[in-house]
Amino acid sequence: MSNPKTNNTALGDLRVLDLAGPMGLYCTKQLADLGADVIKIEPPGGDPTRKIGPFYHNEIDPEKSLYWFHFNTNKKSVTLDIETDEGKEILKKLVKTADIVVETFPPGYLKKIGLGYAALKSINPKLIMTSITPFGQTGPYKDFKGSDLIGLATGGFLFICGWEDESPSRAGGSQAYNIASIHASTATLIALYHRDITGKGQHIDVSMQQCVAHSLQWVTQMYDLQKRIMVRSGRLGVPLQECKDGWANFIALFDWDLLVDWLKSGGGAADLDDDKFKDMDYQIRPEVRQHITEVTDAFTKSQSKQWVCEEGQNRGIIAIPFNNAKDVVENPQLVSRNFFAEVKHPELGKTFKYPGAPYRLAETPWKIRRRAPLIGEHNNEIYKKELGLTAGQVASLKKRKVI
Amino acid sequence: MKNQFPLEGIRVADFSWFGAGPYVTRLLAAYGAEVIRIESNTKIDGMRWQAPRKPGVPETYNISGMYNNFNPGKLGITLNLNNPRGIEIARKLVSVSDIVLDNFIPGAMAKWGLTYEELVKINPDIIVATMPIMGVTGPYKLWRGFGTSVRTAAGIDYITGNPDRPPIGTGMAAFPDFTCNPYHTATAILSALHYRNKTGKGQFIEVAQVESTACWTETSILDYTVNGNIQGAMRNHLPHACPHGVYRCLGEDTEVDYCAMPESEPDHRKKDERWVAIAVFTDDEWQAFCRVVGNPAWTKSKKFTTFKSRKKNEDELDRLIEEWTVKRSAEKVMMLMQKAGVPAGVVNDGEDLQTRDPQLKERGFYVYLDHPETGRIAHDGLTFALSATPGEIRRAPLLGEHNEYVYREILGFSEDEVNQLITDGVLE
Repeated sequence: MSNPKTNNTALGDLRVLDLAGPMGLYCTKQLADLGADVIKIEPPGGDPTRKIGPFYHNEIDPEKSLYWFHFNTNKKSVTLDIETDEGKEILKKLVKTADIVVETFPPGYLKKIGLGYAALKSINPKLIMTSITPFGQTGPYKDFKGSDLIGLATGGFLFICGWEDESPSRAGGSQAYNIASIHASTATLIALYHRDITGKGQHIDVSMQQCVAHSLQWVTQMYDLQKRIMVRSGRLGVPLQECKDGWANFIALFDWDLLVDWLKSGGGAADLDDDKFKDMDYQIRPEVRQHITEVTDAFTKSQSKQWVCEEGQNRGIIAIPFNNAKDVVENPQLVSRNFFAEVKHPELGKTFKYPGAPYRLAETPWKIRRRAPLIGEHNNEIYKKELGLTAGQVASLKKRKVI
Repeated sequence: MKNQFPLEGIRVADFSWFGAGPYVTRLLAAYGAEVIRIESNTKIDGMRWQAPRKPGVPETYNISGMYNNFNPGKLGITLNLNNPRGIEIARKLVSVSDIVLDNFIPGAMAKWGLTYEELVKINPDIIVATMPIMGVTGPYKLWRGFGTSVRTAAGIDYITGNPDRPPIGTGMAAFPDFTCNPYHTATAILSALHYRNKTGKGQFIEVAQVESTACWTETSILDYTVNGNIQGAMRNHLPHACPHGVYRCLGEDTEVDYCAMPESEPDHRKKDERWVAIAVFTDDEWQAFCRVVGNPAWTKSKKFTTFKSRKKNEDELDRLIEEWTVKRSAEKVMMLMQKAGVPAGVVNDGEDLQTRDPQLKERGFYVYLDHPETGRIAHDGLTFALSATPGEIRRAPLLGEHNEYVYREILGFSEDEVNQLITDGVLE
C-alpha cells in the first residue's frame, strides 16, 4: 500500500479549511489522505492539540506530538488569529477559494465573530461547512461542553462497556471522537455530491451524541421492543481463552463439532461431546459457559495465542488473538498486505511506520504524501504566493501576532 | 430550495448482510439512493432471526428489531444466487446500478462470477466495494470473525478497560460493525462517486475491516513504532485530564429490567445503575469543579491543587468525588457541572436515550414508524442535519417485499416471466 502506482486522488480538486479540534481531526484527515488540499488554521504559537502526548522520545515539544502527527498527515498549516479584524479578512479571502470548512467551535461562536455560515456563504455560495459539536447546534444542551468521555456517556455507549462490578469503562482510542469524525466525513461527502450536481453548498450540523447513539447494536431495540435496558456484561459474551502468552477471543458456539474434534486431538474434550452443548440456549447459561471455558482453557493455556488462532481458524473456528500495538505491527496479515505506511520526518532525520489505509481505492488510492505540518509551515506559500501579501505585510502581521 | 434526497438517482445493488454492510447502505438509502437488498430464502440474513423481537408478534423473518433498524429505506428482493439464472439476473441488476456492495468472505462473489473484473465488463463505470474481515489477500484472508473479533485483532481491546483483569474490551459492544467499518466504507464510496462525477470512472474498493479498525487506535501504533512503547488500558483515566472518570450517582426507586445479553433472563430491580462522567481538562475547569462540589477542605489539599499532584493521587480523588456524586442524581450532577462550565454527562442507558434525554428529544433523534407486522417501532435517526438535503428514515423492507417492483419495473420482466422465475425457484 505504501507505493500506489497512480497519483490519482479522489478529492484532489478540493480545498478544505480545517478549524477542527480533537472532535473533527479524523474527519479532515480522511479528506486530506484522499487527496484534498487541507489547510489547518492554527492560532499563532500553534494549535492546542500539539500539547497532547505521547511525544517523540517523550520530549514535550509542540513539533513532536505523536497525536498531532497521527491526525494531521497531508495537511498544510498556516497560523492565524481569526478573532482579529485582519485575521478575519484573511480567512474570508481563503474562504473564496475553499470548497469545505470543517469546524468544532461551540455553536454560535463563529457567527458571533462574523464568520458564521451565512457570512461565509455570501462570499462563496458553493461553500460546504461542516460543524461538529458535542450535542449539535440546537437544543437545550447545545452550549454544554463535551469531550470523548462525555460523548461516550451521553450517547449511551459507556453504559454497556465494562465489568458488572465496576463503573462503566470507556473504550480506548477516543472512539466518540472517531465516531463523530467519520460520520462528519460522510456528511461532508454527501453534501459534496449534491454540490457536484447542483452547484450549491450547505451547512452540516453533526452531533457527537447522536453519532454515538447510532453505534449501539441492539440497545435501541431491546428497550423499544422489550423495555429491557442493556447493561455492561463483563466477561459474559466475551469468550476469552487464556493462552501461554496472552489471550484469544474464541467464538466456537456455532461450530461445536469442530471444537470438540480439536479438543480431542489435543488432550481431551471432557464431557463437551454431549449433544446438549449444541443447544444455544443451554450453552449460554453462565454456569455452562464457565464449565466450557474451564475445559477449553486447559487446552489453550499451554499454547501461544498465535498458534491457537491460526490452528483454530484452519479448523473453521473463529479464533482471534488479543493483540497489542506490537502484535498489530508484526501481524502476518497486515505485514503481508503492506498495511503500514512509511512517513518521512526530515526534521527528525527519521522515517516512521504509521497506520495505513483504512480503505483501498484501486483508482484513487489513499496515500500519505507528507508528514503533519510544522507550526505555520505554509504561511509563506499561502499568504505570499497565493494571497499576494508582501514580505513587509507578512512581517507586520507576525509582529502583531495575527499570524 | 431543499432537495430531501441528494443521492436520488444512485442505485445500489446490495449483496451485504448482518451488520457492517447494511449499515453502509442504510446511510446511502437515508439520503435517497435506491438501495436494493438482495436476499434469499435459501440463506436468510442472520439479522432477520436475531433477538430482540417484539413479544406477542407472530415470528416471521420480518420482525427482527435489529434488521428493521439496520435496513430502513431499502428495497428488498429475494434472489437465489445458487441458481444460474439467479446469477444472470444479478448481473442484469448490476448493469443498471452505480454501486455494488458485499461483506462476504473473500471468494464468495467470485464463486458467482460477480467480481469487479467481471462486473466492469457489463457496467464500465461501476463502483464495487467489498468489506472482508481480514482483506481479500494475505495469509489470514479466510479467517472468519465478528465485529467484536475485529476490535480484538486491531488492538482496541488492549487499550480498553481494567488492565488488572481479563481483557474484555468493550464487551459485547461490537461497535466496529456499527460505525468504524461501515462509515469508512461509505466515506470511500462517496469519495469514489465524486471522482466519477469528475472523470466518469468507477473503481474497486476494498475495506479490510481489521485495517480500518486498526486506524482507530489513536496513537497506539505510532507510540510503538516511534518510542517502542506498548500502550495499555487506563480504565477511564486520560494522561492530559484529571479528574476524568465515571462516578456512581444516586439510584432511583423505579424498577426496571436490566439485561446483559439479548437472550439472557432480565434482572428485575431498582434503577440503581446511575452514573455520571466528568472530564476536567483545564485549571479553570478544576476551579469551577471545586466550586460545584462546595469547596470542601480536600480540594485545597496539596494532593489535588496542581494537575501533577491530582494525577499522582487520582484514585483517591476519584473516591472523594464519588462520595459527593453518590448522594445526587446523575442528571443533577451533570446540570450543576455544565452550568459551571465543567464537561459532564449522564451515562445514559437505553431507556434514558429514548425516553428522558432532553437533547435527543428536542432534536427528534429517534424515529418511530409503523411496520406492517410489528406496529410502531423505534429506529435510530439521522446523526447529522444537512441544511439543504436533510434525508429521511423510512421503514425497512419485508423479505422480498419489492420483488414485483424491481423485477418488473427496473429489470423489465413481464408478469409471465416473473411467474416462471418463481416457479423455477430462481426468486427463492
